[in-house]
Amino acid sequence: MNNPTRKRGMHRRDFLSSTAAITLMATTSWPKVVFGAEETVKIGFLAPLTGPVSAWGKPGLDGCQIWADWVNQAGGIMVGGQSHKVEFIGYDNEYDAGKARTGAAKLIKEDGVKFIMMLGGDTWPGVQPLAANENMLVSTLLPSDLTPETDMLIAPCEVHPIYNVTGVQWLAENYPDKKRAVICAQDDALGKPSVATYLAAFEAAGIEVVDEPLFFDPATTDFAPVMTRLLSSDPDILCLDTSYADYVHPLCEQAFQQDFKGTIISCTADFYPKIIEKTSKEFMEGFIFQFPDFDDPALNADQVNFPRPNEFYAEYANRYGEAEWGAVSWEYASIMDLWADAAIKADSFEPADVLTAMKDGGTGKHAFGDADWWGEELFGINNALVGDWPVVVIEDGKAVIKEYKSIPAWWAQHKDLLIKHFTDLGQMWNQRG
Amino acid sequence: MSELILQTIVNSIYAASYMSLIAVGLVLIFGVMGVINFAHGELYMAGAYTVVALYSGLNLPFFVAVVVGMVFVGLLGLVMEYAFFRALRDNPLGGLIASIGFLLILQTVAVLGFGVRMAHIRPSTQEKIELFDGVLLTHQRLYVIVAAILLLTALYIFLRKTKFGWAMRACAQDTEAAALQGISLNQITRIAMFIGAGLAGVVGALTAPLVSPTPYMGHSIIVTAFIIIVVGGIGQLEGAVVAAILYAFVHTFVTTFFDGVVADMVGLVLMLLVLVVKPTGLFGANDRV
Amino acid sequence: MSDSKTTITVWIFALTLLAGLLVLPQLLSYSQREIAVFLIINVLLVVSYRLMTLTGEWSLGHVVIMGVGAYASALFSKRLGVPVPLSMFLGASTAGLTAVVLSFPLFRMKGFYFLIGSFAAGEVIRLIWKYFTFPFGGAKGLNLIPSFPDIGWISFFDPVNYYYLCLIVVSVSLFILYRVERSRFGLTFHALHWQDKLAESVGVNTFRYRMLAFTLASFFAGLSGALYAHYIGTVNPTRFDVEEMVYVLIWAIVGGTATFYGPIVGVVALTIVNDVLLRALGFDTIRPMIYGAVLIASVLFMPDGLESIFPKLKRLMMGRKTEPATKSEAGEIP
Repeated sequence: MNNPTRKRGMHRRDFLSSTAAITLMATTSWPKVVFGAEETVKIGFLAPLTGPVSAWGKPGLDGCQIWADWVNQAGGIMVGGQSHKVEFIGYDNEYDAGKARTGAAKLIKEDGVKFIMMLGGDTWPGVQPLAANENMLVSTLLPSDLTPETDMLIAPCEVHPIYNVTGVQWLAENYPDKKRAVICAQDDALGKPSVATYLAAFEAAGIEVVDEPLFFDPATTDFAPVMTRLLSSDPDILCLDTSYADYVHPLCEQAFQQDFKGTIISCTADFYPKIIEKTSKEFMEGFIFQFPDFDDPALNADQVNFPRPNEFYAEYANRYGEAEWGAVSWEYASIMDLWADAAIKADSFEPADVLTAMKDGGTGKHAFGDADWWGEELFGINNALVGDWPVVVIEDGKAVIKEYKSIPAWWAQHKDLLIKHFTDLGQMWNQRG
Repeated sequence: MSELILQTIVNSIYAASYMSLIAVGLVLIFGVMGVINFAHGELYMAGAYTVVALYSGLNLPFFVAVVVGMVFVGLLGLVMEYAFFRALRDNPLGGLIASIGFLLILQTVAVLGFGVRMAHIRPSTQEKIELFDGVLLTHQRLYVIVAAILLLTALYIFLRKTKFGWAMRACAQDTEAAALQGISLNQITRIAMFIGAGLAGVVGALTAPLVSPTPYMGHSIIVTAFIIIVVGGIGQLEGAVVAAILYAFVHTFVTTFFDGVVADMVGLVLMLLVLVVKPTGLFGANDRV
Repeated sequence: MSDSKTTITVWIFALTLLAGLLVLPQLLSYSQREIAVFLIINVLLVVSYRLMTLTGEWSLGHVVIMGVGAYASALFSKRLGVPVPLSMFLGASTAGLTAVVLSFPLFRMKGFYFLIGSFAAGEVIRLIWKYFTFPFGGAKGLNLIPSFPDIGWISFFDPVNYYYLCLIVVSVSLFILYRVERSRFGLTFHALHWQDKLAESVGVNTFRYRMLAFTLASFFAGLSGALYAHYIGTVNPTRFDVEEMVYVLIWAIVGGTATFYGPIVGVVALTIVNDVLLRALGFDTIRPMIYGAVLIASVLFMPDGLESIFPKLKRLMMGRKTEPATKSEAGEIP
């Protein structure tokens, strides 16, 4: 506590034992000094860093900086008999397709990056032709960017919104008497596919959705009318869909103030201690969502592939403050783990080689456990990495991972439902413009 | 059903309260400066972040933070007046651009000081009143309604009964004629900027625990405010209040009985209809542009 | 001074400029060429916007109109298989037609009412794109829009080639817009701006002229949208929101709208500042702040726009013998 610098130093040394470093020591007997420091591999980070969407980009770049520091501290990535330091080059695309295209051109043609990480969404289609032409490997956090044409685009971390089925499944198993749900979501490219997923999951679980899903504008400032409407059909499950953190808080506050007594299920609950502060511990008890705390000891379970989650969180909070932490803080970094493993395996940084190594055998090491490359039926291509996903429940004021549930297992049973609801809301890859 | 309607009316009254405070501030600034203040939403944001800093950060009492927020944002208004609005008085489009520049600066300052993610404010109270059976109003919301009534009444009295108020109205009607009457234009504009900005600040401060403050929260409020002041008739304080109430009721009812997105569409179409029928807004004089 | 002499100077200047523009991409890096493509499209957008402002009305719907051109051209080519060059023209025409329809409600309003009214009309169009997944693709918009067909070995995927294509289209468009302004119509537009009551009293149908200006401006805005859509390959409702419109407004006002070249100077200067200089200097998070400060400084110190420095420069270069530049005849900001 008194000496954070030393503590951090310890963590870095601990990190020596993790994947990249092991490979380094195992594959070379030469002293590190001879090679190394000079060689650098550059990674592009092409996401919004300013503007209203920057909350989905900026914290991710910060997380990657920690990742790079740790990996470089441990000697870098060993490829072609040489160790390479990792350098991230950020480009602010302002969540605009044109700026994203310009940024991709700069990263590929001028900076010579070997891999580009994006938030995706509106910005991906602008990059798509260039990435295809240059054979650049690109990752997105939004699998809805995938189409049959996007063979160099991967969604290896966030399989939003498909993992939401696990929360509903858990809810149905543990509260079999709750049968009436309502849904609300912001009206955008994130909200809609998520609504389709929840509708399918509720139907699969035999839970009735008692009112039409309520969409609100992303510029909504007052959530009282939204909540009044939702609660008017007397539900016992309130589904907040993939509402952004800025909406989850006032929605919960309103649900509390308007005396909602049932269970809330949501994709995210960023800063949930603050929601508890705004409502009450009792009210938030049993709140179900999908994103664990990274200081949760359960993340050290054997199946989890994200290295040292607790230390990563501590370092992040230390550098940037707890208030900047969010899912994207670790998600981009976890994609880097996958990429670094694949590069070492391929013994190459060339995008096509890395992709081949990454998808070798049709499975990969997802942050939350070994997973399958999947997506053909939903996105037209098997470029989403899907496996287990944690169901997180708030108990006594603390988020606890209750169970890792398998998305492929759910899919095998209920895929027709999901396809049906995706089709109804126009979210299938072949329905999108 | 009647419970739902009553609750929706209560929700509408709250919405009308904060919307009218925002709109009146915007109209006041327009009245004396002849400039549409694009940075008004960011003034509202600055009010919210004052509460973040003082109430959440330094643990000062909530109402102290609110008052400081109002004064601080009022002072920001003075800064705007001094830095560029005064020099650009006869140049409304230049003023517009300058206010956009100021908006970008305020947003960036908020990002640097508080990060891009939402800020947190614990509620100042969780008390609520049950008006009728099942119809609820929280104290936090009541504050906003009470503040709107008090501040708007005070403003009305100030404008109607004091010398400054009289001068200010004269200014808003005809700047040159007012100047000829020996009214100090700079003093008037300073007072108007302070009040106009302060109103945005107080709304931001009071509603901060009810929304999630982000550096970009101003966006959500400014478009609504523009719609309201146009429907009311630009430059018309009473018009702004009436339009705010109208818009709040329509938007809240449509959100409750249909959908939030439909409510936005209805709001826009309604505004277009008003303007087609009466191209200078509900209360606008016929030839004032 | 003789008219023919100034005409010759203008032509010489225009040709030199054109030569410079032809060489330009060869001097740029790959990503700067990308910026140049978007810049030249924005030049057309902002110049067409100026035509609209000549009549004295400032619209907040111009970027949405650009979007109408982009969506229409994308849909014609993607869903109906219309060849891209033709669909671009059809897209621009759709934007023009939209303006004809919008004229009826909008030109009942003036000044700030028109400003906000045009904004509302634009928002309604945007919400329609968002609401109807078919055919507009909803919030995600349209992807994989066909690109401009290759001509022989010339691929328009390459920013240099597309830059030249845009240069031709935009030059021709600017020439037309310039001629319109110098024609009888253009003079009437100016007259409407200053003395619409008077113009009406001498028998000018003000509504019809306003509509004409709006339609022409919208046609070329739509064309710029079509050029954009078939290059980037995607359009979505957010791309054409009011924030983008604010940028157009900024370019026009910071550049100045009294002269034909004012808005062009504005968009070029500000794009270089924001997308080249500030990025190259490594300003990351504080880029918007500096941009904001530049805006304030520019309207404070150059209230007549960047265009106002050119007559001054000219006077400096020619010494003191020329008469002081006449106050811009095209008019100032209302």
